[in-house]
Amino acid sequence: MALVRIALAGEGGQGVQSVAEILAEAAYDEGKQTIYIPNFGLEQRGGVSIAFIQASDERIGAPKFNKADVVIALSERAVSRTATYSDSNTLYVYDSGFKVDEEDYPREYKQIIGLPALETANKELHPRVFNIIIMGAVIGLTNMVSFESAKNALENKLGHKFEKNPELRDLNFRALEMGKQMAEKSLQEGGAK
Amino acid sequence: MQANVKVVGDTKKSFLTGNEAVTWAALAAGAEMMFGYPITPQNEVMHYWTRLAPKYGRGFLQTEDEISAGFTVCGAVQAGTKAFTATAGPGNVLMQEPFGMAEAMRLPLFAVIQQRGGPSSGTVIYSQQEVALTTYGGNGEGHRIVYSTATHQEIYDYTIKGFNTAWKYRFPTFLLGDGYQAKMREPLEMYDPEERGIEIVPTYPLLGLEGHIGENREPQHLCNIYSLEEELYDVVLRFAEEYEKISPELIEYKENQCDDADIIILSHGVVSRAADDAVKALRAQGIKAGSFRPITLRPFPQAQLREAIAKSGAKKMLIAESAYGQLDRLTKQEIYGETIKIENLFKPGVGIIDYDIINKIKSML
Repeated sequence: MALVRIALAGEGGQGVQSVAEILAEAAYDEGKQTIYIPNFGLEQRGGVSIAFIQASDERIGAPKFNKADVVIALSERAVSRTATYSDSNTLYVYDSGFKVDEEDYPREYKQIIGLPALETANKELHPRVFNIIIMGAVIGLTNMVSFESAKNALENKLGHKFEKNPELRDLNFRALEMGKQMAEKSLQEGGAK
Repeated sequence: MQANVKVVGDTKKSFLTGNEAVTWAALAAGAEMMFGYPITPQNEVMHYWTRLAPKYGRGFLQTEDEISAGFTVCGAVQAGTKAFTATAGPGNVLMQEPFGMAEAMRLPLFAVIQQRGGPSSGTVIYSQQEVALTTYGGNGEGHRIVYSTATHQEIYDYTIKGFNTAWKYRFPTFLLGDGYQAKMREPLEMYDPEERGIEIVPTYPLLGLEGHIGENREPQHLCNIYSLEEELYDVVLRFAEEYEKISPELIEYKENQCDDADIIILSHGVVSRAADDAVKALRAQGIKAGSFRPITLRPFPQAQLREAIAKSGAKKMLIAESAYGQLDRLTKQEIYGETIKIENLFKPGVGIIDYDIINKIKSML
């Protein structure tokens, strides 16, 4: 697999860093070279939280990057904060639950994708698995890890909670699946345009 | 103390932050005691240490500030305890007093520095702005050993090595990382040092020795007060001579495709990863680039760098760093007299990626 670079951004509490960590663990478990680094400036305390993930079959150089293959912005503020990571090869993803003015779009992008992750979580699943839908979407957009590896990584991370409440396992796996399908569908639609 | 309990049994691949790698390596190296004071981005060294240390019978003390943390390490090592500390930024500034003391008393102090952007209230993020401070800070002559790491594997390897170096040579020894290395996760192999044939240098008390002075042993002078200028002069000259004598065994560096290079990229620490990627990309485009990276910033691999310049016949060198010329100054004083043309890529407090270096190199051709 060639190098995949992902920037995930959202508000504190949206679970951006947790998802990034689980994705990175999944890639590592697949034997890939993987780097995950959170931003940890003062913005962490009341600002946009960003996670930088890279996975590759080969050695990875610098821990950060200028331009990502996929940027996912999960709040309005995150859109303006992350536009800089987008260029003409970038899939730029935001949650369609909030409106983005066209002037806030990044100047360069390959495709802009609005995903109804928040709405799906609230109406069809549970608000708490919003971030797992996003995790599924990352897989749908990049094939960075296999669906099975992602499930295993979730199991490793949340297994102790699943043991106590098996319904949670089902809920998380469904969220992962829905996020993946949502992303794949948007890619097909974008390709058809 | 259960310092001899195996911390890492069989070699295992792990996916950790750099701070975690420091902690596991310190445990595996048999460190008995950490003294520290919280500061980002090294907090997790303390955090993991306080979680893990009790399981292995090791100790921890949070002191009232960094000056105290440094001096408690100075005290503990005199008692023969394998002690260390970790700090960053303004903490590194405050620790220069105890570090200077360790230098003047030849104490086997080991400290991990995770660089952040200045000033003290500046950013808690990444930088390479503590090179000058870590190599030559303090009212002394920089008789220190400084390892600048680039990967988590090296953090693990050089933490183990750092303790050994400190106790073997009795010069204060530092592992110089940064906020990125502290906080990012990447794979590494953790191992038991002795399984790898790495001998752990035994610790020994410097004070309170057995026997009686004048009867069956010599006095142990750990002088930290000099009433005569000449007295201090003699001591510093002796230390300088010893430091220069051991330097060849301590110097470490990495050279990448310098043999036929037209242009050499010099960098240290995490930036060297981008430099190696840049060399690969530039070579693919027919540009003969090479890279040189000092692993020990003190003592600096000056003869090796001069040799790389000489054998390649390179006419140009790019010094790239996330600081405004700290590695640049260090290098120029070491290779004084070389006529190679030097240009700079200074990005103080900001990460450098291969793209930045490639663009800069192309602008130099």
